[in-house]
Amino acid sequence: MLRGSIVGFGRMGLTHYSILNTHPRVEFVAICDSSAFMLKNLAKYVGAATFTDHEKMFREMKPDFAIVATPTATHAQVVECAIDNGIHAFVEKPFALNTDQGRNVLRLLQGKTIVHQVGYVNRFGDVFMRVKNLVDSGAIGEVLTFKTEMNGPTVLHGSKKTWRSKKQEGGGCLYDFASHCVDLVNYFFGPPDDVVGTVFGRIHSDGVEDTVSTTFVYKSGMRGNLLANWSDPSYRKPSCCFEVLGRTGKIIADLHSFKVFFSYAPNLDGFTQGWNQRSYTVFATPVRFFVRGFEFTRQLDHFIDCVLEGRPCRICSFEDGFKTDTIIERIRTDGERRGF
Amino acid sequence: MDRIVFGDNQFFGINHMSEEKAQSQAEHFKDNAAIIDVIDAAYSCGIHTFMFSTHERVAGLCNYFRAHPDKYAGLKLCPSIPYAYKYANAVNEKGILGAIDQFVFSGQGASKAIRTIVRSGITMINQDMIEVMKLLVDADMRMFEGLDVQAVFLQNTVTDILLGLRVKEVFIEYASHIHRMYGVDPAFNTMNMPDLVDFLLDCGIENPIVCSSINKAGFAMNPSRQAYEECLADRRFRPMAMSIFASGAIRPREAVEYVCGLPNIRSVVFGASSRGHIEQTKDLICSCWGQMETLEAATRT
Repeated sequence: MLRGSIVGFGRMGLTHYSILNTHPRVEFVAICDSSAFMLKNLAKYVGAATFTDHEKMFREMKPDFAIVATPTATHAQVVECAIDNGIHAFVEKPFALNTDQGRNVLRLLQGKTIVHQVGYVNRFGDVFMRVKNLVDSGAIGEVLTFKTEMNGPTVLHGSKKTWRSKKQEGGGCLYDFASHCVDLVNYFFGPPDDVVGTVFGRIHSDGVEDTVSTTFVYKSGMRGNLLANWSDPSYRKPSCCFEVLGRTGKIIADLHSFKVFFSYAPNLDGFTQGWNQRSYTVFATPVRFFVRGFEFTRQLDHFIDCVLEGRPCRICSFEDGFKTDTIIERIRTDGERRGF
Repeated sequence: MDRIVFGDNQFFGINHMSEEKAQSQAEHFKDNAAIIDVIDAAYSCGIHTFMFSTHERVAGLCNYFRAHPDKYAGLKLCPSIPYAYKYANAVNEKGILGAIDQFVFSGQGASKAIRTIVRSGITMINQDMIEVMKLLVDADMRMFEGLDVQAVFLQNTVTDILLGLRVKEVFIEYASHIHRMYGVDPAFNTMNMPDLVDFLLDCGIENPIVCSSINKAGFAMNPSRQAYEECLADRRFRPMAMSIFASGAIRPREAVEYVCGLPNIRSVVFGASSRGHIEQTKDLICSCWGQMETLEAATRT
């Protein structure tokens, strides 16, 4: 049995707890949070030991792994403490608030056999996994352009009540929404060589941006656009989409389905020349225990498998998270140059 | 519970097949009048039980039902609470306690307000999550007042998060609150049917109503279609099947034949956007299940 712990019991902490609490090889022994309401109820009903200080929790409970789902600004500090105590760590996205913090964590990891993963959950989504395989197979030829969007109704009123509305704590549309798009771009094509034309916009927020648009440029000639908006009331829930144009085909994908156009007759998976549509209702594989989406269970089970087998996480390691942070920082710098 | 229940996903832009389809449905049903037309079509096909989320627009539909009692004689509702994104967005903006505040104290009549405030006073002192849950249930149920509620379903994201917590008291208290306050059976939507059924039976909640995706494609049947089929055969509960077409992934006849051929399925929930589709689906289910027993309330318990 692996002894688990959670730092930060908000919406994501709760989701992760629920998914892993049903894992046959995991037992949660401790939870750390700052909310008296949460701690009181966790102690009363859930039975895990509760803490307000993660350092004390790691020292006293000696868990095998920690799920870190605190506001982004504290990720690095909590993760460093976990590494110091020899505890495997899964951290919510984005990896850290800035590249200085991330670099320190990576330095601390050197020479240690700690398993680490960042929660970029789209890498585990049925559609994006398929689309990546399709792009990697060369079926649509050399990639020329792409565009990635994330839109949702997350902030529809001015509010200063949570960390998401504070830049210094990791709030804002760039960290919250655009980070998903940046990570998919990195996962598919590697980090861009240049980031240009960034514009941040405000709709409701005071301290942070509500919209982000930017352009990625690669030395190979490939280029892509990113658009993110967390204040779009026309969406029912946050939605991420990705469009890739290659020399011989084009893919348009969202979380549930993708369409692929081939300019030739491909001898592949029943696809034909012209448009083809595929929905995850046909190809999604069930999971051990489902909460909110197949991908949430898949990413945590990947982490636990790696811990159990003592191997590094292949799909979304801290190094991957750091690469995404690096691009996020370049977007930030490029956008602020325009006076935001 | 009637054997055929009409669902509401299509009205509010929910479609598992594609976000594009969901978008076009949201455009089509932007006015409640368009929704009422489809409800009326279902009604005239003999379908009288409707499952509704607590999407804010459902309050308007409920007002319409109350204003036209003759037209909707025999109307039965199965609320599915809460509408999760409403809460998720509020939590993002206001934090967990801020969101609770917003939903418990907004838009209520005077007598209810007094009742709620009295209980809130106790709750805020105790800060007990089960008491908070009861307040949120009552807040969500307000829109259905005066209508014939058949069972109150806990929405699947909430059910499954709570199931993962493995806290029996939450399910036991939910069940007894629904019995006490609304005089009907508690019910549960889930994406983890076999696991939930075993847990509910462990909690002492007997013969529970459990609604889950059941389809030939095995879509959203976690951990496996086989586990669902075994659970249906072995456990004593009242299963309702939803997503029987897996949002269009299976041909209608094949889909209905599979579900109606399974043991013990008590009801099927489906949604459709046109009279033609409603009639076609209803007729298929009726012919598979046998004309005699279809549309009669299942009296076996």
